[in-house]
Amino acid sequence: MTGAASRRLPAQAGELVDRSRPLAFRWDGRSYVGLEGDTIVSALLACGVDVFSRSFKYSRSRGVLSASFVDPGCTVQVDDEPNVRGAHRRLAAGMDVRPQNVWPSLRFDVKTANGLVGRFLTAGFYYKTFIKPQRLWPAYQQVLSRFASGGVTSRQNAHGYYDKRYVHVDVVVAGAGPAGLAAAVAAADTGAGVLLVEEEYELGGHLRFSGEESLSTLSELRAQVAARPSIEVMTDAVVTGRYDDNWVAVLQRNVGGAIERLVKVRAGVLVAAPGLIERPYVFAGNDLPGVMLSTAVRRLVNLYAVKPGERAVVLTANADGDAAVADLTRVGVNVVRVLDGRAGETIRRATGRGRLQAVELEDGTVLPTDLLVTATGWTAPTSLINMAGDRPVWNPTAARFVPSGDGLPPTVLATGGLVGDGSTDELIAHGRAAGTLAGDRAQGRAGGGVPDLACEPHPGMFRASTHGFVDFSEDVSSKDVVAAAKEGYDSSELVKRFTTATMGPSQGKLETINTIAVLSEATGRAIEDLGTTVWRPPYAPISLGALAGRIFEPTRVSPMQGWHEGHGGVPLLAGQWIRPDHYGDAAQEARNVRENVGIIDVTPLGKLELSGPDVPRLLNLVYVNKWSKLAVGSVRYGVMCAEDGVVMDDGVTGRLDEDRYLMSTTSSGAATVWEWLENWLQTAHSDWRVHVTPVTTAYASINVAGPKSRELMQRVVEGVELSTEAFGYMQVRQGRIAGVDDCVMWRIGFTGELSYEMHVPASYGLHVWEALLQAGEDLGIRAFGVEAQRILRLEKGHLIVAQDTDGLTRAHSAGLGGMVKLDKDDFAGKPELAWHERYGLATAPRLVALQPVDATAVPPEASQIISSNGDILGRVTSSRMSPTLGHGVCLAQVDPAVAAAGTVVTIRLPGGGDIRATVQEDLAFVDPEGVRLRA
Amino acid sequence: MNQSPPSFVGRRARSLRTARRGPARYSAFDLIRRGALGTDWPRSFSQPELRGTYDAVIIGAGVHGLATAYYLAANHGMTNVAVLDKAYIGGGGSGRNTAIVRSNYLTPEGVRFYDRSVKLYENLAVDLNYNVMFSQRGHLTLAHNDSSLRTMRWRAEVNKLQGIDSEVIDPDHISRLVPYLDVSPEARYPVLGALYHPPGGTIRHDAVNWGYARAAEHLGVHIHQYTEVTAIHVESDRVTGVSTNRGDIAAPVVVNCTAGWASTVCDLAGVRLPLITHPLQAAVTEPVKMFLRAVVVSGSLHVYVSQTDRGELVFGASVDPYPSYSMRGSLEFTEELAGHVLELMPSIAKLRVLRQWAGLCDMTPDYSPIMGVTPIDGFLLDVGWGTYGYKAGPVAGEAMAELVATGKTPEIISAFDLARFAEGRLVGEKGAAAVGH
Repeated sequence: MTGAASRRLPAQAGELVDRSRPLAFRWDGRSYVGLEGDTIVSALLACGVDVFSRSFKYSRSRGVLSASFVDPGCTVQVDDEPNVRGAHRRLAAGMDVRPQNVWPSLRFDVKTANGLVGRFLTAGFYYKTFIKPQRLWPAYQQVLSRFASGGVTSRQNAHGYYDKRYVHVDVVVAGAGPAGLAAAVAAADTGAGVLLVEEEYELGGHLRFSGEESLSTLSELRAQVAARPSIEVMTDAVVTGRYDDNWVAVLQRNVGGAIERLVKVRAGVLVAAPGLIERPYVFAGNDLPGVMLSTAVRRLVNLYAVKPGERAVVLTANADGDAAVADLTRVGVNVVRVLDGRAGETIRRATGRGRLQAVELEDGTVLPTDLLVTATGWTAPTSLINMAGDRPVWNPTAARFVPSGDGLPPTVLATGGLVGDGSTDELIAHGRAAGTLAGDRAQGRAGGGVPDLACEPHPGMFRASTHGFVDFSEDVSSKDVVAAAKEGYDSSELVKRFTTATMGPSQGKLETINTIAVLSEATGRAIEDLGTTVWRPPYAPISLGALAGRIFEPTRVSPMQGWHEGHGGVPLLAGQWIRPDHYGDAAQEARNVRENVGIIDVTPLGKLELSGPDVPRLLNLVYVNKWSKLAVGSVRYGVMCAEDGVVMDDGVTGRLDEDRYLMSTTSSGAATVWEWLENWLQTAHSDWRVHVTPVTTAYASINVAGPKSRELMQRVVEGVELSTEAFGYMQVRQGRIAGVDDCVMWRIGFTGELSYEMHVPASYGLHVWEALLQAGEDLGIRAFGVEAQRILRLEKGHLIVAQDTDGLTRAHSAGLGGMVKLDKDDFAGKPELAWHERYGLATAPRLVALQPVDATAVPPEASQIISSNGDILGRVTSSRMSPTLGHGVCLAQVDPAVAAAGTVVTIRLPGGGDIRATVQEDLAFVDPEGVRLRA
Repeated sequence: MNQSPPSFVGRRARSLRTARRGPARYSAFDLIRRGALGTDWPRSFSQPELRGTYDAVIIGAGVHGLATAYYLAANHGMTNVAVLDKAYIGGGGSGRNTAIVRSNYLTPEGVRFYDRSVKLYENLAVDLNYNVMFSQRGHLTLAHNDSSLRTMRWRAEVNKLQGIDSEVIDPDHISRLVPYLDVSPEARYPVLGALYHPPGGTIRHDAVNWGYARAAEHLGVHIHQYTEVTAIHVESDRVTGVSTNRGDIAAPVVVNCTAGWASTVCDLAGVRLPLITHPLQAAVTEPVKMFLRAVVVSGSLHVYVSQTDRGELVFGASVDPYPSYSMRGSLEFTEELAGHVLELMPSIAKLRVLRQWAGLCDMTPDYSPIMGVTPIDGFLLDVGWGTYGYKAGPVAGEAMAELVATGKTPEIISAFDLARFAEGRLVGEKGAAAVGH
C-alpha cells in the first residue's frame, strides 16, 4: 500500500499515537498501516480513506461525524465482530476491517439507486405500499430485509471467553472528564472506596484535546487519581445501566483475557459525570463525508494528529467551535470562512458527490471546501439519571435537556457538563463538591452542599433553512419528521415509532433533540411541552456474551454417576440432571425387579426438610388430602394442586420426629414446589412457624425394589427392625445403612414391588450403593434405570404428574378424586375442586388404563383417541410393552363417554392408521390388590 | 345489519352507507404520485374535540380498543364512538409486545379463537389499507427433553385434528429452518425436536395500531389521546358515562380495553377482577444481516427470539415472577436471557443488546382473557390478556364490537366471561400460553 500517513500531522502535544509502533491491518480487502494508539477510523483517515459505510436506506456514503463511540457512519465489521464502533475501537495489528451494509462494494453500491428515488421512500413508506396483492408480500419482504443494516454474523463464530465480576464499592463515578476526576479524588479523600469508569481508553474527557493548559490540568488530576489507591480506574469501560438500589452495570472491554466483562456493582452512591455530546446540525447534505462536528475535528487533530481536511468552513455558536477554528489554523488547514451562529449566521446547504465539495451560504455564496465543521450545541446524556428517576426538562436558555433535579434518590448525584457549563476550574470545583458529598453519604454522613453550575446561554440552533438528516443511522430526515407530524404522528413517542428516528444504534444520543426540535417546528408546540422520550437501559450496547458471562448452567449428577458410567449406564437428560436411562436392557432390568431385587438411583427426587410446629398446617394447605394425624414414623402420599385445581406435583412426606418432616417431590418439580411453599409462607402465612430447607442434593437417594428387598436390607441395615409388622408399608425409619448413620428409609412402592427408599448423606451415596450391590450379589441384584422404572410403574398403573396429567388435569381426572378432602378448612385449589366435584365430573376427562387388542401393538405416547367421525376423545399419555405380561400397556386421558371398563376405543397413530384398545377395570395391570408392595 | 336486536345503545345503529368516505388510498402508485407532486398525506388521526355524549366509550387506545372501535364502525355502522387513552396510541402493551402471532393452542376454545385472529390478521393489510407486515415465517417451539417432546406431539396431534397446520419435526429439519441453532447432541440442553407451526409469525405491532386507528377515525370514530378516565359513572347498576381530565362524557356503553391497569380501571366502576399484574420484559439487539427466519421458542429455556426485517433480534421470556406495575427493565433479565439464547445459538455472542423494556401483563388464573358483560349494565370487559393479547387483537375487537352493537355475547367469546371464576368454568391455556406468547 502507498501514501501511508499522508494526512498525518507533525507531533501534537496531547497525541495518543506512538509513531514508533506501526500496525498493519486490512480495510475492505486492502492493506494499510496505522499507529499504535490510533482508532480504526483515525488510522484510515490518516491514510486518506474518508468513507466508511453506506447508509441504511438511501445507501449514501458516510464518513466521520463525531469521531467518538457514537458515530453512525463509522460502524464497521472487524473480523467476526459486527457493528464495531470504528471511531472508538483501538487499532490492533492484523485486524481485518470491512465496511458494512455495502453490496457489491463500498465504492459502487447498487442500493445507491434508492437515493435517486428517495423522495418516494418517505418515512413509513412501507406502511403505505406492498399491500396488494397480498400473496406478493413475502417476496417484497425478502427484498426489504436485504436493506437491514448492520454487520454479519456467522454460525462458525466461536463463543469466546466472557466474564463477570461483582464489586461492592462506596462510590461509582461514571465518566472521567474534569468533573468526574475531581469527584473521584474528592470522594476518595472522604475515606470512600471509588470506582472510576471511563468510556475512552484514557482519563480526561475533553481536557485531552483542549490545548496545553488543559493538558497540564489533566496531568495534575491524573496524578491525584494515581496517588489514591482507594480509586480503582476502569477505562474502555462504560456504566450501562443503573437499576433499583444502585445496582450498577459496568461493561468493561478487553480485560484479563476476556473479550468483555460485565461488572456488577452495588454502589453506595453513583455520581453521573458523562459530560456532553455534541449535537449535529440539520441541513441539506449534513451527512456528506467531510461534514464534521467541532469535537470530531479537535479529537482528530489533537489526539490522533490527523488533518481532517485542507479547506474548511466553520459554523460556530460556542467556544468549542472557536477552539476548533484555532486548532485548524494551527495545523495549517485553510479556514476559508467562519460563520458565527451567535450572530445569527448560518449555512444553507452542503453539496458534493459522495463527499463534501462545497458549502452554500444563506446569501447564495458557494464556497468550495472539503471540510465543514459545525458547533451548534450539545446534548446532555441524561440516561443514567433518567434510569434513577429523574425526568429531564428542557432548558431553553442552554437549548438542551437538563436534569430536572427532582426525583433522584440521595444515592445518585450528577456533576459536570450534564448539570451545567463552566470553566475547567468551575467543573472541577463542582465535581469535587459532588464527590465529597457522595463519599460522605456513602459512609453514612450527611455531607455538605454542591455549588450551582449554571447553564450558559446558547443559541437554539437545530435546523437551517433546508432539510437534512436528523437520524443518520436510520436515514431519517427532518422532512420525514415534518411529514409524520402532518399525518398525525405528532407526539415525541409517535414520531419516534413512525419514522424510527432515535431507534438506531446510538439510541437518540445524537438524534433526540433535533427530532423533537423539528417536531416542535412542525406542530407549533414548544419543545418543553413535547418533552423527551424515556431513555432505557443499556446506555451503551452490551454483547450477549458479556451478559451471559461464562454461563453457569449446572449439570447435576448424583454421587453414583461415576458408577453408572462405568457400568454401561446410558445417560438421560432430565432438566439439569443427567441420570442413567438404562444399562443396556431395560426390559431385563424390569423383569429382575419383579423376580429378584433391583436398585435404582433416585437422587434427583426433590427433597425438602420441613421443621417447626406448624408443618401440619402447611401440609394441609398445599396438599389436597389430610395431614393433621400423620404419626411420627409414618409416610403419606400427597397430591398438590394449583389454585385452579390442576395437579401440580405429588410425592410422599414422612414424619421423622415430632416437628421434623421430610417431603419428597417429583424430580422436575423440586424447585417449583420449594417456591410454592415459600410463597405461601412468606405472603399468606408469615406467622406460621415452619422452616423449609431444600435437601435434594444433601442426600443420595436409592430405591431398592423387588421380592428379595427385605432380605437384602437385613444384610445392610443396623438397628431397625425390618419385619412387615415392625416396619410396614408407608412407614419411615431412621438408622444406619452399611455403616452410615443418619439415613432415612421409607417403605413405598412406585414399582409395585416390596420396596425401600433410602436417603443417605450424599457423600456416602456411592459407598451405600456399592455395599447394596455386594450384599445382594447372591440374590440376583442388578441396577435398573429410569426406563425400567417407567415400565414397572406403568404396569402397576402409577401415574407420573405432567405426563399422565397436563395443564388442565384436576385431581379427579388423574384418578385422585378420592384424596380430595373438601371437609378440610382450606387448601390450595379447594374452591375450584369443590365446584369441579359438584358440576364438572360428568364432563371431565378420566385417567384409564388401556390394553391394545393386538398384543404386539404399542401406540406412541400422544396418540389421539378418536370417535368414529374423527372427534378427539382423549390421548395416550403413557405406553410401553410390558415385559412382565408380554403385551402393550397404556394409560390414557379419555372422555367419560368412553371411560367405562370394557369399552373398545380407536387410537389414531401419529404416522397414520388406527389401532383398537380396551379400557381396563383398574389402572394397575400387575397386582391391582397391592399384595406385593405390602409384603 | 338487517336485524334489530336489543342493543345497549337502544337505537338502530347507523348504516354503513352513511359512514364517511374512506381515507386517502395507500398504494405504490399513490406513493409515487404524491412523491412526484410533493403533496402531503392527509392526517391519519387527529385530536378531535371531546363530545359530551357518545354512543359508546372505549377505554384504551391499544390494539383491542382500536379494533373494537373499527369493527363497531365498519361492521355495525356505529360511529359515534370515542376511544380514550391516558397517553398515545399504542403506548401500552400494544407497543411493547414482541408481536408474535400464532394459533397452535391447546383447548378447542383457544384454538378456534386464535385461529380466527390469524385469519383476520392475514387480511388486515387489505382491510385497513395499511401494510401491517404480517410475516408468516413459521413458529418453532423447541423440545429439549422427552417430556416436552411428548407435549409437542400432543399439541401437534390436537392441532392437526382441528385443522391447524402444526407438526413435530426432527433436529435435521429444525436445522434446515434455523441453521444457527445448535442441534448437536452435545448441547447442554439438546434439541430433540420441535413443534413447527408454519402460519405463525410476526407482525409490525405499531402498524396494526395505527392502521386500526386511521381506519376507525376515517369512519367517524373519535380517538382522544392524552385523555385519562378519572371516574366511571354508574346509576342503579347501569353505566352512564365517564369523567376525564378533559371533561365529562355521557355514554350508555363503556368498554374497558386496558391492559396493565385493567383492575384499577374496573375499580372505578366497582367491579373486581381476578387479576395479578406482572411485568414482562423484552430486549432487542443491534441489527445484523438476516440470519434467522423463523420465530424460535424454548419453553425449557424461557426464551423466544425472532429477527425483524430491520435485522434486530427481538427477545422475550416469561413474565417476571413478582407482581408489579414497574415498567423498568432489570439487569438480571438480560443476563439470564443472554445465557439462554447463547445455549441455543452459541455463535452470536458478539451481537449486542441495544435496548430493553418492560410491559405489564394482567394475568388471570387460567391464562385466558376476561371478555363480555359485568354486573354493571353497559360496562363491558376486554381485559386479562396476560402475555397473549396482541395476537388476539382483531378477533377480540370483532367480538366486542358485536357485543356492543347487538347486546348479545358472541359465541366465540362466551367461554371467557367474568362469571366463570365464580362458577369455576376455567379455560386452562397455561400449557400453551406460558412462554410461547
